[in-house]
Amino acid sequence: MIKVLLADDHSIVREGLRRIVEESADMEVVAEAADGRDAIRQVETAAPDVAVVDISMPGFDGLEVITRLKGSHPELPVLILTMHEEAQYIVRAIEAGAMGYLTKQSAPEQLVEAIRKVLKGHRFITDEAAELLALRIARGTHKQTPLDSLSMRELQVLRRLAMGYTNREIASAYGISIKTVDTYRFRLLKKLNLRNNAQLSRFAIQNQLIQT
Amino acid sequence: MRLRLILMVLSLLTFLSTSIGGYLYYHNLKESALLEAEQQAEVRVEMLRINLSAKISENTRPARVLAGIPEIVRALENPRPAPLGHANQVLDHFNQNLEADVCYLMDHSGLTVASSNRDDRDSFVGHNFDFRPYFTRAMQHAPATYLALGTTSGIRGVYSSCPVYGTNRTIPLGVVVVKAPIERIEEELGLGPEDIILVTNPLGVIFISNRSEWRYQLLWDLSREEIAGIARSRQFGEGPWRWTGLKLRDDRYVLDHKGRRYLMNRTRIDNYPGWDIIHLRSLDAIAKVVSEPLIRITGPVVFTASILIGFSVFFLYQKASQEIVKRKEVQKALGDSERRYRSLYNHTPAMLHSIDSSGHLVSVSDFWLEALGYRRNEVIGRQLTDFLTESSRLYAEQSVIPDFFRTGICQDIPYQFRRANGEVIDVLLSAVAERDETGKPVRSLAVSIDVTARNRAERALQLAQEELGRYTRGLEKQVQERTREITGILRYTPDVVSIKDRDGRYTLINTRFEAILGRSNDEVRGLTDTDLFPPAVARQFRENDLKVVRERRSFQFEEPMPHPDGTIHDYLSVKFPFYGEDGEASGVCEISTDITEVKKAQNQLRRLSASIMAGQEKERAAIARELHDELGQVLTALRMDSVWMAKRLEDRDPAAARRAHDMCRLIDKNIEDVRGMAIRLRPGVLDDLGLVAALEWYTTDIERRSEIVCAFEHAAMPVINEAVATAAYRIAQEALTNTVRHARASKASVGLHAEREHLILRVRDNGRGFDPHGASASEGIGLAGMKERANLVGGRLRVWSAHGQGTDIRLEVPLMDTGRNPT
Repeated sequence: MIKVLLADDHSIVREGLRRIVEESADMEVVAEAADGRDAIRQVETAAPDVAVVDISMPGFDGLEVITRLKGSHPELPVLILTMHEEAQYIVRAIEAGAMGYLTKQSAPEQLVEAIRKVLKGHRFITDEAAELLALRIARGTHKQTPLDSLSMRELQVLRRLAMGYTNREIASAYGISIKTVDTYRFRLLKKLNLRNNAQLSRFAIQNQLIQT
Repeated sequence: MRLRLILMVLSLLTFLSTSIGGYLYYHNLKESALLEAEQQAEVRVEMLRINLSAKISENTRPARVLAGIPEIVRALENPRPAPLGHANQVLDHFNQNLEADVCYLMDHSGLTVASSNRDDRDSFVGHNFDFRPYFTRAMQHAPATYLALGTTSGIRGVYSSCPVYGTNRTIPLGVVVVKAPIERIEEELGLGPEDIILVTNPLGVIFISNRSEWRYQLLWDLSREEIAGIARSRQFGEGPWRWTGLKLRDDRYVLDHKGRRYLMNRTRIDNYPGWDIIHLRSLDAIAKVVSEPLIRITGPVVFTASILIGFSVFFLYQKASQEIVKRKEVQKALGDSERRYRSLYNHTPAMLHSIDSSGHLVSVSDFWLEALGYRRNEVIGRQLTDFLTESSRLYAEQSVIPDFFRTGICQDIPYQFRRANGEVIDVLLSAVAERDETGKPVRSLAVSIDVTARNRAERALQLAQEELGRYTRGLEKQVQERTREITGILRYTPDVVSIKDRDGRYTLINTRFEAILGRSNDEVRGLTDTDLFPPAVARQFRENDLKVVRERRSFQFEEPMPHPDGTIHDYLSVKFPFYGEDGEASGVCEISTDITEVKKAQNQLRRLSASIMAGQEKERAAIARELHDELGQVLTALRMDSVWMAKRLEDRDPAAARRAHDMCRLIDKNIEDVRGMAIRLRPGVLDDLGLVAALEWYTTDIERRSEIVCAFEHAAMPVINEAVATAAYRIAQEALTNTVRHARASKASVGLHAEREHLILRVRDNGRGFDPHGASASEGIGLAGMKERANLVGGRLRVWSAHGQGTDIRLEVPLMDTGRNPT
């Protein structure tokens, strides 16, 4: 049996989640917490296999919980489940040490899958968040390079262009117009002093923005 | 013109006389040169004769000596090789010593048996020269001298022969000959190229000459027989012997075929009968001897003289012309001045007239006629007094005219003229007399001034002055009224009014200022700010005053001023310069309004506004959180339930399951709406993750919602307090909203970094821009609101924009300043 801890300050939400989790025969909710402090305590007592934690909670919030659990239970996979769908939250959560992130809205469809995935040691995050994360790490490790002069959005477009995506595909991936993508492409070439997409690709590989 | 002609003729005559004089001089010189040349030639020919005679007979004696030498005699007596060899040695010896051409020995038949040139190609040995006269004569016991061209050698020579006798002295055994070269003699003639020397035989064949081309020519034209004779003699080779073309003209001159004249001298050679020495000298050469130095010396003199003459003629000509022109001008000026005088007299707009000593008018000006209304022919010749009124006539006849012709002058005589139409005009008459040679006045020149009009004008002027006086009094009254009004204003206005001169001394203060200072206007006049206020305040006042004076325009200042009760009041002062007559600022006027209360109210208002804004933010945050967390969570839970329900019902009741799905979609939409609402009120990211994350999210969101490329760049940021973060976020939001709504931009960028403890936020776009000073800027696009937000956190907002230039907004907020943080 997979033992699950649910931490959310809304009981009504916890209730819903419990129902979803327990739909699966091999999972059970062994503990529920209404705030961060409670969650930490429950981990100690109930020893769950996985913790599903909300970000916005009274006391200390989900991010704080992750940080603390990283200290005391580094092996425990934490899955962030939240109302926020902005990529910034996801990045922050993963940076803090969460193994997965999903919105409450998508919980009925994805929660069980997410739990299984993080238990196996894989990350569970949206593509966009994964990418943002990768770029942030790339930029963080490449100080004093031309990458430094690029904004996150430029990095995103650079990466996709380097991987061979068309402008149309990139536009739809980020919900922006094709014209906007083109403008970014132009700015990238100018900022990096490159001439074409092939050079962009080479640059991206050299700077480990994409894996070959 | 006549003068010019004279000058021209004079110069021509000068030139002619110079030329003639020159020519005569030259001719004279030439004659004497010719004479001298003739004498020279005679001397020269004489010398030549002596010289040549000596040269020709030079070898006579050596030949005789040679003939007596035993080896020679023996060789002829016994013409075998041994004795001949001895003879040859002797001949060689003589030849060498005499510097002769050849020495040789002939036997009695004329055959050469020994010779000094026996080994040469043109050896004489074996040749027979019995045809030569020098041989035949020697054989007749007469030693001979002979001039001829050698038949064997082709060399000219002087042949000296002598008979050689054996023991029997009756018949010579042979003849010994010494041949000397002519060339040496020719060389020694030693004459210049202009002299021609010819040595001729009796027929005139030229044998010796210093001109090689003349040799073997014939001096005179010879007959054919004579030429044949020359050929037969073999004396001068084989010819041909041409005529030189010379012809004799009287005794002294010859002409050549080209017509050149030569001076000729001739003399005979001693001991050589029939042979002449002829000396020719070209007359041209003689003339040249004269003319060359003459031309060399006198040429420049003549040339310089000609130029000088030319110059002096030109100079004189110029002078004369100038003189003529000047004289003409003077004449013309005289004529002009006379005409002008006449014209002036007639056309001067003054009454001019002249009378003679009997009082008759001799001339009057047009104006005189016009003024009195007469024609000229009605006036000239009549008495002046006919045109005066009765009283003036008496005055003139009895006093003025006699006096005038005695003194020659009168001045400002008041006359009354009677016009043709009977009107009387007042004049003042002044006159001077023209005098004859004896100094007696003969006629007058008088000017009459019509003073009728002047008298009228004087009266009019008087009236005008009176009018002006009335007007001035009216003006003064107005000024007094205005002054009263202004004094009233100054007295009762609640504002402080003062006037200072350029040096900052008070010249006037109003009642309000008197009250504040506690001193009267009279006491303050002449004092400066330093006398009235603390040094810092006075300095500030003075600085502001000077700025007004310097820039010559009005300024508004906020000036704090201490009141006697110790409180400091804020004044809003308008200062403007007064200008003196020189156009420089002569002083400063200042009108100051006490705004202490207004400022107090303003500050209160600001604080209020800040707290309202902060409260609003707080409220928004609370509502946003409520919506997002509470309502959102509930909806989410509902969604979970509906999904669960849908799954449960899927098999048993498909219709209910569909319904549950519908519900789920409805809830999804509601969740989106709630999220949207919450974010619009206040994005959770700002509170949860901070400003950088919030701006990153917001710019991304802008790109999703619009066509604008919105880049966000930031440096590493320190911790930012909530109020500052809120202000920065709201300002960026407002700016970007403007960009999206109004700017028609294609690009925008947001930059965030820290600089010297300050947060710097910059929002730029490439849109159409706007006028930041226009009213619509602060109201329509909320610039005022943005500035207010910046102020409230102690920051500064600067906006650059212009039509077509995009917009650049820069916020600068101190990061550490939390003092004014209203939250």
